[in-house]
Amino acid sequence: MRKFVKGNPDLCIGCRTCMIGCVVEHEGRRIFEIDPDGYDFNPRLHMVKTAKISVPVQCKHCENPACMAACPVNCIKVINDAVVIDTDSCIGCKSCVQACPFGAIDMVSKIGTQQADGSMRVVANKCDLCVGTGNGPACVRVCPTSALTLVDEEKLKEVVCDKRVATANAAKVFADAKEVE
Amino acid sequence: MATKQVQTTCAYCGAGCQIMFTVDTDKNKIVNAVPAKGRTNDGTLCLKGHYGWDFINDPQILTKRITKPMIRKGGKKSALTEVSWDEAIKYVADRLTAIKKEYGPDSIMCTGSARGPGNEANYIMQKFARACIGTNNVDHCARV
Amino acid sequence: MGVHEIEDAKLIFNFGYNGADSHPIVQRRIVRAKQKGATIICADPRVTEAARIADVHLQLKGGTNIALVNAMCNVIYNEGLVDQHFIDTMSVDYDAFVEIIKKYTPEYAETICKVPAELIRKAARMYAKAPSAMILYGMGVCQFGQAVDVVKALGSLALMTGNYGKPASGIGPVRGQNNVQGACDMGALPNNYPGYQNVTNPDVQAKFEKAWGVKLSNKVGVPLTHVPQRVLEEKDPAKKLHAYYIFGEDPAQSDPDVAEIRETLEKLDFVIVQDIFMNKTAEFADVILPSTSWNEHDGVYSCCDRGFQRIRKVVEPPSTVKTDWEIICEISTAMGYKMKYKNTEEIWNELIDLCPNFAGATYEKIEKYGCIQWPCRSKDMNDKGTVFLHNGKFATADGKGKFYTAEWRPPQELENEEYPLSFSTVREVGHYSVRTMTGNCRMLRNLEDEPGWIQMNPADCEKLHIKHGDLVKVMNKRGWCITRCNATERVAKGATYMTYQWWIGCCNELTIGSNLDPVSNTPEYKYCNCRVEKIDDQAAAWDYVNNEYKDLRSRMGIKMIGEEA
Repeated sequence: MRKFVKGNPDLCIGCRTCMIGCVVEHEGRRIFEIDPDGYDFNPRLHMVKTAKISVPVQCKHCENPACMAACPVNCIKVINDAVVIDTDSCIGCKSCVQACPFGAIDMVSKIGTQQADGSMRVVANKCDLCVGTGNGPACVRVCPTSALTLVDEEKLKEVVCDKRVATANAAKVFADAKEVE
Repeated sequence: MATKQVQTTCAYCGAGCQIMFTVDTDKNKIVNAVPAKGRTNDGTLCLKGHYGWDFINDPQILTKRITKPMIRKGGKKSALTEVSWDEAIKYVADRLTAIKKEYGPDSIMCTGSARGPGNEANYIMQKFARACIGTNNVDHCARV
Repeated sequence: MGVHEIEDAKLIFNFGYNGADSHPIVQRRIVRAKQKGATIICADPRVTEAARIADVHLQLKGGTNIALVNAMCNVIYNEGLVDQHFIDTMSVDYDAFVEIIKKYTPEYAETICKVPAELIRKAARMYAKAPSAMILYGMGVCQFGQAVDVVKALGSLALMTGNYGKPASGIGPVRGQNNVQGACDMGALPNNYPGYQNVTNPDVQAKFEKAWGVKLSNKVGVPLTHVPQRVLEEKDPAKKLHAYYIFGEDPAQSDPDVAEIRETLEKLDFVIVQDIFMNKTAEFADVILPSTSWNEHDGVYSCCDRGFQRIRKVVEPPSTVKTDWEIICEISTAMGYKMKYKNTEEIWNELIDLCPNFAGATYEKIEKYGCIQWPCRSKDMNDKGTVFLHNGKFATADGKGKFYTAEWRPPQELENEEYPLSFSTVREVGHYSVRTMTGNCRMLRNLEDEPGWIQMNPADCEKLHIKHGDLVKVMNKRGWCITRCNATERVAKGATYMTYQWWIGCCNELTIGSNLDPVSNTPEYKYCNCRVEKIDDQAAAWDYVNNEYKDLRSRMGIKMIGEEA
């Protein structure tokens, strides 16, 4: 099963340390040395704040990804068990953005990638679980309140197991109520 | 690259978080900041603690680092002129002495700083106001 | 109390304090407390992160704090939920306090603070019945014309329920800037020498005169917030200010009613700015003295819970700048009062010996234990400081807690037909203070930049035909600025909020400088009126913002691309 990062709104304080952690991980630490306008600031997860919820939203690394199916040039691939966009081959058609049911993909421009007419390349952008950086998901690591978790098969099983127990207990309540009647 | 690690207290809020900086000692530059284990922060930092240090290399984003003393030699609204430390110190001392002489010590107001300078600098500033100028006109931005 | 204790609280009453934006690492403890089963009551006009996870959110109207606190005390009194033994043995002035709170029934308070009476009752019962309860308050209490009254009323709420002197109880301010506690500890106050020793006390005066070898003044000095009045309006020549030595602060950006501050700085005969970056105040300086930043010098900070911790030189400063204390010592010496120290430890040793409450907090101990919470009176290595300030008895002359509250006073400037919305300043999590440091940090700048936001309820936005992200003009009789509209359900109808880091979206063009709390002299940053106007030509407005930003950066000494280096 593919892993994914999940945010817990009970722990999230909306600070967006995760979004910066994501950028630094993907751009590399040179970001603190170079021209302040010479890098991309394209976080691959986004803080969402509604009236009652604060939580970052990112890719769920679906087992049967709709984005991958929608991509006409096959630039969305599975690498090390993560669903990853190859931005070098992305043609910017936005099919994946529309296909993703979670709003986990957005379109971003890439600095330093001029096209023939001088305009900047615009490509699809989403969480890649920091594949290839060697440090695991940066968002999970930097979150000050441990609101983000890398969910693997074992953790998902635990959650399912807990839910089954809760369902079983609810069934008992329902049975007790019947008896009272 | 030769590096060293230095632990200090974050200056971005009153929580008093401990940060461990890694310094490239050849270039005299910070290269990384990670949380250290402090009483209040327990090995965590927020975004300002993690990513709030590259200002120190004067990246010319919002405002320029001041590196030389400067005086407006042509009076108010004239351009600032870079001067030596000796000239700047003498200029300040002469002007403050003249104002104190003309209007009295209570005509001079000093501030402390609730931000970066630290306790010792605040002690020195209030000692300067009280013992050198002769006034209790010293306060800081606690209320701001 | 200590920050680390928060997560063990049984109940947290979070009042006018938005830790998530001002101290994320303190908010972390509140979140953990909730996870460990604590009850959270949050009083805040906005749905803050604390309000979002609270068991009860008292969403009061801004500027009505004391009505709400009095009503909670009223419920606790009328329902017999008081700790009578504690009141009898540990406090004074209870009867006078009861006389005032009697009037504040939840129904009466509801008419002022707009919190449903039943919710006030619920919160009061929860607070009173908790085995121990901790009150955390912030600038939402302090930055009003009626501020100290509210602090004392909250203290009385804790007193009447016996919430002192036990773990995770009491009342704690969580202070804004990193070393506010330290600047107070060190006597950067017009009425106190270091260690909270009063300038009007002759014994104290004699002690400092002996230590410093000079005659000292026993006249209380001018508070910072009185400076504009002492420059612009003072008729008595003996009281008029002529020189202003500003060190590590930027009043032209951070103080209320900055138009008045600019006029003040222009009128002063002599302005000294000592700082690390160019800022708005430096534009008015006669002399600018470059100093070191927090990563370039040694010293001690006091964190919000009285903890002394070391700061250390991480990198070498530019060779042409000096530390703040060196600069001040050189000026003092040039003026005839010699000050010379080898290092910060020598300064520290001088001052702790003058302050009984700090006497034991040596560099050696701070190094060894990481943090020393004062009072720490003995140099013996076993005196590791004090976690609870009110341990067993109160730090008053008779050792008893004093009840106090007051009648509600409305804020000075209310909404009216011309300016129908309320306006309050708040904090931006990714920027610090006036932003001279964090605004020069790449990642923090990328996350949030000019011209900032004004938080508004979507219903108010709809009425004005503006939508999220639009540039809008915000104004009142003192000034105006341009910023972006942040349409959010988290703020109530009729109320607006702006953070104070933005130099173009500058909220202090609007704030009010004249309504100070009579005791603390804190300005009413959290309440004035405003009007928000739609801007039809958004493209022209963005051009304006971009040009202003460019001009501002150029005035601050930034070389633009294409310019000569």
